[in-house]
Amino acid sequence: MTNPHVLRRALLGAGAGLLAMPAVLRAQPAAVKIGVLQPLTGALAQDGDLGRFGAEQAAAFINAQGGLSALGGAKVELVVADARSNPEAGAQEVEKLQGEGVVAIVGGFASPICLAASQAAARYDLPYVVDVGVADQITSRGLANTFRFAPGFGAVTTAAVDNLIRLNDGAGKPCKTVVLVHEDGLFGTGLARLMATELPKHGFEVLETIPHPTPARDMNNIALRLRSLRPDLLIPSSYYGEFVLLARTMRQQRIRPKGIYAVLNGAASNYRFVKEFPDAALGVMDCNHWQDPKNAEAIALKAAADTAGKFWGYNIPLNYSCVKLVADAVNRAGAADRAKVIQALAASDYSGHIMPYGPTRFVNGQNQGARPVNTQVQDGDIKVIFPAEVANAQPVFPIQG
Amino acid sequence: MSARDVLPGLMLLGLLALAPLVASNAALNFLLSSLIVALAAQGWNLLGGYAGQLSFGHAAFFGTGAYATAILQLRYGVNAWAGLAIGVALGALVGWAIGFLSFRARLRGSYFALVTLAFAEVLRILANAFDLTGGAAGLLIRMAPGAANLQFPSRATFLWLVLAVVAAVLLLTAWIAGGRLGARLVAVRENEDAARALGVDALRTKLGAIALSGAITAAAGCLYAQNFLYLDANIAYGTWISVEVLIACVLGGSGTVLGPVIGALALHGAGEAAKIALAGIAGPVPGIDLVLFGALLILAVAFLPQGVMGGLRRAARGLAR
Repeated sequence: MTNPHVLRRALLGAGAGLLAMPAVLRAQPAAVKIGVLQPLTGALAQDGDLGRFGAEQAAAFINAQGGLSALGGAKVELVVADARSNPEAGAQEVEKLQGEGVVAIVGGFASPICLAASQAAARYDLPYVVDVGVADQITSRGLANTFRFAPGFGAVTTAAVDNLIRLNDGAGKPCKTVVLVHEDGLFGTGLARLMATELPKHGFEVLETIPHPTPARDMNNIALRLRSLRPDLLIPSSYYGEFVLLARTMRQQRIRPKGIYAVLNGAASNYRFVKEFPDAALGVMDCNHWQDPKNAEAIALKAAADTAGKFWGYNIPLNYSCVKLVADAVNRAGAADRAKVIQALAASDYSGHIMPYGPTRFVNGQNQGARPVNTQVQDGDIKVIFPAEVANAQPVFPIQG
Repeated sequence: MSARDVLPGLMLLGLLALAPLVASNAALNFLLSSLIVALAAQGWNLLGGYAGQLSFGHAAFFGTGAYATAILQLRYGVNAWAGLAIGVALGALVGWAIGFLSFRARLRGSYFALVTLAFAEVLRILANAFDLTGGAAGLLIRMAPGAANLQFPSRATFLWLVLAVVAAVLLLTAWIAGGRLGARLVAVRENEDAARALGVDALRTKLGAIALSGAITAAAGCLYAQNFLYLDANIAYGTWISVEVLIACVLGGSGTVLGPVIGALALHGAGEAAKIALAGIAGPVPGIDLVLFGALLILAVAFLPQGVMGGLRRAARGLAR
């Protein structure tokens, strides 16, 4: 038989609990969903994995700090989508993320994926923050929903030429002759063309421009050509596999120019290259995306990546910063409302990121403060050598005195 | 052409036209991609299925249609509908040119297949190198929703347009299959020398087939460009489309009216279903749809040599007995 007192107490308890429920619900507001679009399978899977890792670390950081303050501490929930390394799949995944009700999308990595996915997102006025994609078209189309936090192709190449001239002048102009080796796609060809017109204006002589296809399985002919041309400086613009092959072939054939100066290179700012082929990587310079090496949060993030067994790449700090930028915009908007988030991003002066950019300021979707840095492989590590206020090492240039 | 040939197909397409009533945008998007591949596969079917000229390079037509629509709009300000018409005509022209060069040289079987592959690859490399096609950066068609621009704010309208084109090609295929041209195509497929001995102009027949095939596949390329609004050399001229149309036809039943449509829907449907089912059980499994494509092709070749349509016909015959 049931004791009536116990029953009464239980009912009272349950009633009190029910009354308290709304308070509990208020204390845990609905999570805000942010879409993370990365090429997780296919040719770009390595980059996509790093991008996702960075985004996840940012969400964990925000949630550990108490979530989104303006939304009563709402947690950030990431919805990860796989762009399968092609733009069509990227655009299709945007539809899925739209179905999931995300407040914004971060990522894309490759320019074609970013172009197609941001346009698909524009149909729904869904904010899209590009993590890496450098093609200038991305922000020149006038899509109100698209923002790029990192620098575009034009900004990177201009900085690359300026920094090279300063570097060379600073060392007493040791390099006069240059050979350009480039992949025959968008980056390589565009960059080689730009270098071939800009460098002669500053006293450099471009001896030859050597294109190669991607993928290329043999670099012996290019190495032999370099041996006969004997340039002071080599400017390569290739993807990971091809540049590693070229650097190794040059090492084997003992071809040592005074400097290797890469721009947006797939390997020169990649720890896998540095760890697996330390001899070939030594002294290689790159002008690329990189985190502020003195930022405490960036140092902690790198330690977390090391613990997780990831080779560090710029995808991690960029996606980390982009997710934090979106979270900040949601906070500024005061609601998980897409139109308000777009307004908040457009007016954002966010400085809580870990890139050496200063406060964010978007003009036509492009972050004006964004800039690349110069890195160099020194003592089995990747150091920032330029600009001076960010640098954590002095350039070793020329490599052979 | 009898009603029995086309009725099941038209009924299927009619059913799909009702999809916007129940399906989400993501599902409509998926259906659109499948139907565009189905349309391209219908083009392949005329040449590979009916005329027996196996092509590994239908990307050449798909890409030509896609690039023509995009370039005409972007560089010359041509209206998208006119771009579509010109794209289809250019697809036919490229088909005729490839056919003229290879059939005149009496290339057959695997030699013809390899030459078509080579043409598609050459076009891909050229599109990747020249400024006209945007080089490696690709082309971005400006988003301007509106029926006049062949862009529609709602997915449903675009779906209906694609369904109408697929239905039109279905009727065309059935009409050809039931007529003189169809008989000539089959004669050339079964024994070209015998067909020639009987007075069939084999070269003309094959050229007609490849031009028509090119036009239909180019139409798929145009619609693809208008749907995704972005193109690069690997999308337009990449091997993916050549492979997908081939598998769709083999799986659905090449040389049948409805085969390519069934094949494309089954192929994409199975891939998507496998992804969703496995994601529910074991979390997302990247690339599972590609594994399934391979498995389906092996199963189709082993157990359904005439594809799903052939299997159905055999089953119907078995029941009738």
